[in-house]
Amino acid sequence: MAPFLEFRDVSFARGARAIFERLSLSLHAGERVALLGPNGVGKSTLLAMIAGLLRPGSGTIVLNGLDVRHWNRRDLSRTVALVPQTLEVPFSFRVEEIVAQGRVPHLGRFGSLSARDLEVVERAMEAVDVLQLRNRVYQELSGGERQRVKIAIAMAQEPTLMLLDEPTQHLDIGRQIEIVGLLRRLNERGITVLAAVHDLTIARDNFERGILLTSEPTCISGSVAELLTPELLARAFGVDGANFGRFSEPATALQHAAVHQGTAQPHRRVRGRHGRKINRDLR
Amino acid sequence: MTTVAPPQQLVTSSSRPRTALTLVILGVTLALVLVVSAGVGAVRLSLSEVLRAILHPGEAGDAGVILFSLRLPRVLAAALAGAGLSATGVLFQGLFRNPLADPFVLGASGGAALGGAAAMFVFPTLSVAGVGASAMFAFAGALLTMAIVWSLARRSGQHGIENMLLAGFAIGTMLNAATSAFELVHEAANPGARILAVWLYGQIGVPPWNQVSLITVVMIVAIVAALPLARRLNTMALGDEYAAQLGVAVNRVRVQTVIVGALLTALAVSLGGLIGFVGLLVPHVLRLMLGPDHFRLLPAAALGGAIFLVLADTAARTVFAPLEIPVGILTAFLGGPAFLYLLHHKRKAR
Repeated sequence: MAPFLEFRDVSFARGARAIFERLSLSLHAGERVALLGPNGVGKSTLLAMIAGLLRPGSGTIVLNGLDVRHWNRRDLSRTVALVPQTLEVPFSFRVEEIVAQGRVPHLGRFGSLSARDLEVVERAMEAVDVLQLRNRVYQELSGGERQRVKIAIAMAQEPTLMLLDEPTQHLDIGRQIEIVGLLRRLNERGITVLAAVHDLTIARDNFERGILLTSEPTCISGSVAELLTPELLARAFGVDGANFGRFSEPATALQHAAVHQGTAQPHRRVRGRHGRKINRDLR
Repeated sequence: MTTVAPPQQLVTSSSRPRTALTLVILGVTLALVLVVSAGVGAVRLSLSEVLRAILHPGEAGDAGVILFSLRLPRVLAAALAGAGLSATGVLFQGLFRNPLADPFVLGASGGAALGGAAAMFVFPTLSVAGVGASAMFAFAGALLTMAIVWSLARRSGQHGIENMLLAGFAIGTMLNAATSAFELVHEAANPGARILAVWLYGQIGVPPWNQVSLITVVMIVAIVAALPLARRLNTMALGDEYAAQLGVAVNRVRVQTVIVGALLTALAVSLGGLIGFVGLLVPHVLRLMLGPDHFRLLPAAALGGAIFLVLADTAARTVFAPLEIPVGILTAFLGGPAFLYLLHHKRKAR
């Protein structure tokens, strides 16, 4: 079967800095894939290119057999939904008004919502469990609620492929589990999922396959467990000799991490000496 | 499996009133305010006198002369100026994703006034197809100012809001100084002429009837044409990237919004000069009542702005009678505090 999405020798540069050089990768329909790699390696750029927001400098991106460049914009918006890292909305727009924007690529010339559009919006809110938030003002929502609303917008687009940029970032562990569970359910319904993920444990436990982008002009694809070898991680993230071993031992990984943190940095010191810096980072 | 509740009408659910009903109420209020205001002045006319004169203009006598040559053009000019400024406020607020954007604050009114003043000074008699050079130059001035403010605000990324306001303020001040210079030169050359002074203060004039009807038609067409843009602005509230991802042609919507906004501003300025804060006050109050949906807000703001400015202008010409104060001074007194309140509120929200 031909892949649903294929990068063929794609290069992209931002100013003088090359982000990708002759990158090739592929994704099959129905897959659930984690996009891994260090900060600034181009994960967001890659997602934006698939969504048609950025054009590759050279090479082609083929989606469902057709070069993305030749896709009609509305058709592309009905096929690919991008869930960006942040969504800030001015004015007091309510959740259902915002989720309804996901219908925009399906609407006619005058842009009014049909009964079917309303039903899709309703089901999108139900699928991500934000029905009870429908009349709340988006600005007043918590981080986890906002994340779910963003996914609801994407659901309202009725996409075949959903791209997510760091969907678990800045969420507590409970909300992270919720979002990842949601992605699994959407994938089981037949939506192909490609998510940029920072947390290697989340990637290992929840994604079938990973694509590891490195600063070298290549990417490495394989099952996430295969990717999480100390050698590959050291190469990708550019830290030699760090304790990456814990990611290749699934059963004890969390324990391992806890022990590792406990011995390296006693709690007292963290609070006393680094308290200020930590606060600044949080902001 | 949980059962799905039947879908409700999205935008009109909860406590927000229905669009059509709101528009009817605003329209009826506007008609009432126009008729009552037309009766108010040095010669007081009752409601029935005004209505009789409008329905049977031939038999109206003195009341008819007062109404048709003075009062009606004036209240209609105030209504049109208010509608134009307020509708532009909604469009620019959607465009800049900021409730502080207003044609006066952004310098568009200043650009229109300078363009109009320059044309009056340089081509006092030029007119094409009934449109005076001053109206065309006012449009060009508003358009140019918005292009400059937009490019300055866009380039500044994170601090876009502050820069937009500062750029608008700086450019507006320069434009107004230039208009003042024109005014002084013009008055020195034509003693007693106050045409330009009136623009600077923001005073509604008494336009000829052909101008009133032309502007009415152009303004209604412009606002109706802007309704699809208002829908796009709702999507663009999610941000440019998000809107582009949802298939909105972001740049085209921006350019069209600026053109319509500049046109409405130029029409309003050609009727009443620099009247500030109408585009800020009226949309803000209506947003509290109707919610932020630009598609509903645009026609409501046009009607609301018309009501507001007719009332304000009637107050301006009667409260200190026989002295008439320019309505721009009145709106500044009301709008300045509202602006500061919104600025404070915005800071807190961040």
